Amino acid sequence: MSQSSTIDTMTPTRLPGQVRAWASSNSALVAMLLLFAFFGLTSQTFLLPNNIFNIFRQMSVVAVLGIGMTLVILIGGIDLSVGSSLFMAAGISALLLRDGSTAPVAILVGLVAATLVGLLNGLLVEGAGISPVIATLGTLIGARGLALVLMDNAQIRVTDPFFDTIAVTRTPGIEALNIPGIPLIAIIVFVLYIITALLMRHTIYGRMVYAIGGNQTAARLCGIPVKRIKILTYTLCGFYAGIAGMLIAASTGVISPNLGSGSEFYTIAAVVLGGTRLTGGIGRVEKTIIGAFILFMTLNWMTIRRIPTEWQQAATGLLVLAAILIDRLAQRERAS
Amino acid sequence: MSAPRATTAPPLLEMRGITKHFPGVMALSEVDFSAAAGEIHALIGQNGAGKSTLMKILAGVYQPNAGEIIIDGKPVRFQQPRTALRSGVGVVYQDLSLVPQLSVADNIFLGREAGGGILVDQPTLHSEAARILSELGVSGVDVRRRAADLPLAQQQLVEIAKVLSHKPRILVLDEPTAPLAEEETALLMTLLRGLKSRAIAIIYISHRFKEIMNLCDRATVLRNGRLVKTVDVASTTEMELIELTIGERVEAFFRHGEHQASDDTPVLEVEQLSVGRTVRDVSFQVRRGEIVGLTGLLGAGQNELARALFGLTLETSGVIRRDGKSVQLHSPKAAIQHGIGLLTEQRKTEGLVLNLDVRANLTLPSLSFFRRWSAFIDNRRENRAASAMAEQMHVKTASTHAPVGTLSGGNQQKVILGKWLLRDPDILIFISPTQGIDVGAKAEIYAQLTNLAAAGKSILVVSEDLIEILGISDRIMVLYQGALLQTFARADANEERLLAAIQGNLQ
Repeated sequence: MSQSSTIDTMTPTRLPGQVRAWASSNSALVAMLLLFAFFGLTSQTFLLPNNIFNIFRQMSVVAVLGIGMTLVILIGGIDLSVGSSLFMAAGISALLLRDGSTAPVAILVGLVAATLVGLLNGLLVEGAGISPVIATLGTLIGARGLALVLMDNAQIRVTDPFFDTIAVTRTPGIEALNIPGIPLIAIIVFVLYIITALLMRHTIYGRMVYAIGGNQTAARLCGIPVKRIKILTYTLCGFYAGIAGMLIAASTGVISPNLGSGSEFYTIAAVVLGGTRLTGGIGRVEKTIIGAFILFMTLNWMTIRRIPTEWQQAATGLLVLAAILIDRLAQRERAS
Repeated sequence: MSAPRATTAPPLLEMRGITKHFPGVMALSEVDFSAAAGEIHALIGQNGAGKSTLMKILAGVYQPNAGEIIIDGKPVRFQQPRTALRSGVGVVYQDLSLVPQLSVADNIFLGREAGGGILVDQPTLHSEAARILSELGVSGVDVRRRAADLPLAQQQLVEIAKVLSHKPRILVLDEPTAPLAEEETALLMTLLRGLKSRAIAIIYISHRFKEIMNLCDRATVLRNGRLVKTVDVASTTEMELIELTIGERVEAFFRHGEHQASDDTPVLEVEQLSVGRTVRDVSFQVRRGEIVGLTGLLGAGQNELARALFGLTLETSGVIRRDGKSVQLHSPKAAIQHGIGLLTEQRKTEGLVLNLDVRANLTLPSLSFFRRWSAFIDNRRENRAASAMAEQMHVKTASTHAPVGTLSGGNQQKVILGKWLLRDPDILIFISPTQGIDVGAKAEIYAQLTNLAAAGKSILVVSEDLIEILGISDRIMVLYQGALLQTFARADANEERLLAAIQGNLQ
């Protein structure tokens, strides 16, 4: 926020010009507000607080995956394995809980498992020099397979009071206005975003990520340990997938063999809708939550309007393409 | 124009008042140039003088901001290289444009394979290619071999054959002899002399004055984007050509302040350093407060040597000592920790992160200076240091929060130098520090180098620009084919001796 304000004040233009500049560098936010207004006007249930909280809950898993994915995309990589890492973390935790472990142990082991998948991705890409798409496609298949072996290819129920508490807890609502409390899961997601956004802005690691994504060679010539930072970023992405796995274990209560499959595509879509460039170096973590919100409120509205799911899928694809196109046009405008 | 004409007939090619701007740089300013059929016309000038830009305008790669091109008395405009080629302008570029996996014949006819249909008529293709090569007097090249398997010199000949197969009336050669050995150069000279009889105008870009004296009929000298003079080679001397290229004002460029090395203890010692197959057994020392120039022909190993000293090459053997202690420079990070900084001519690809703001670029090598709470950046201290450095370097920018990509080339160069000054290493290595920047910015950089040395920094300047090397160095090391041929003290060096030394003649 401090950055955009200094840029704005240094170019003394007319107010409409400033508004335009702001809109073109915050196109995701503008798109979100416009869509939100449109959906609110065209549906009576859409704006109900409970529906909004519902959207928050539906987007929570993709939103958390999106944090790690944004970091990986910022360094010029991609991680297709997040859905499998999430599944592995959730499955291992569920197994441990079933066999009598306490919740902290189960959560810790689950997080470590997903983090190790992330580390493996980093080593494959940066150590062995395999392209990120191929390497993470491999772990996408391998991690899910390994987890299924551990789970005996069967679904496992999560029956732990701590997980249940995470799933059902809400803040107190305002009964007079008929507003329910905010789900704990949504709060966890927002807190994770705030922490990561602050870290990216104020840590040496965050600065190095942008430097590497912007120009890897120049970053290396400045003494930045490029490989180590990239491996760390893949590892972090695995860690966030682990957290997403815990959230999905808590909210669904049952780990079935295809849990989380395909979530990588929604995650990448959310990152792109948030305006982060797939070429690396440009984008912000906090914008990915806007992208996730755009994606899931659109799906939510389509469901309310009883649009068939196959059409919903097609529309989601078009939405992502439109976002990329709009961003391109805005970029061209800024350049000229 | 005052240019003497080789013939009284109108020249085949005339370029009048050609002007070209790039952001931050005036590349060409009202340049006149002409070439007649049957002549070899040299185009000379220092790096950044505008030779390549002028030829790229002729070839339709760039569009001029002003001026006209006249071929055979008719004004022409080339929007793209293809149209220029069709109108008879063929260019052999410095970096070969052969497709390595394709055969010689395929390369020669790339894009217009014989046979007309989908299928390529291989026998016709091969015999045609062989005919073209033999017409050029090139023997011993199998047209079915892959281009990548040929020695560099033969690749160069194939490249020329490819361009000639379009039957150009104007042939441009951009430093064709740079990668060639002596015998290969001789072969190329014979070939070009043979082409004169075909009524082709040959434009020959080169830094090698001896070749020009031997080969060319006329020479046009450019300096800083302006036409200096067009001369008849027969009635001029090599020294005159060199002086025209350098220009008188060069003297004022450099401050010949005698900043003697403040003490004799070496800060950097290199013993028997070899780098891959490009640098062999090089030993030297750099003392405190000294500016050492490192030069040689293109590809003599000077760039590889400099990069190895910054930890960019792992295939090294030999000993490197910093302040008397042996050090392992296995990464740029290690080199920086041992007090070494590197600035290259590749501003955009190696020097800057264009998306990041001026502040972040300035502090990138020194982030650890602004560390607090182990992982965080102290923003206030960082901003203060960056603003102070931007001011000290006279970086012209609206704010240190502006993306560095929005700055002009000269100011970008200042940001790169500034980021190293902030890091404050004892040794700074500059690779072609002034390549492609305008005279004003050059003078500022030379002044900075001298100031740095006076402040006790040791500086290694790698450049192929002999005038630059002569102007700023206390000591000059000449590499030839990867080995250190000779070291000159400033007092013993002059253009002629250096020119001879870089070509392998011990002085």
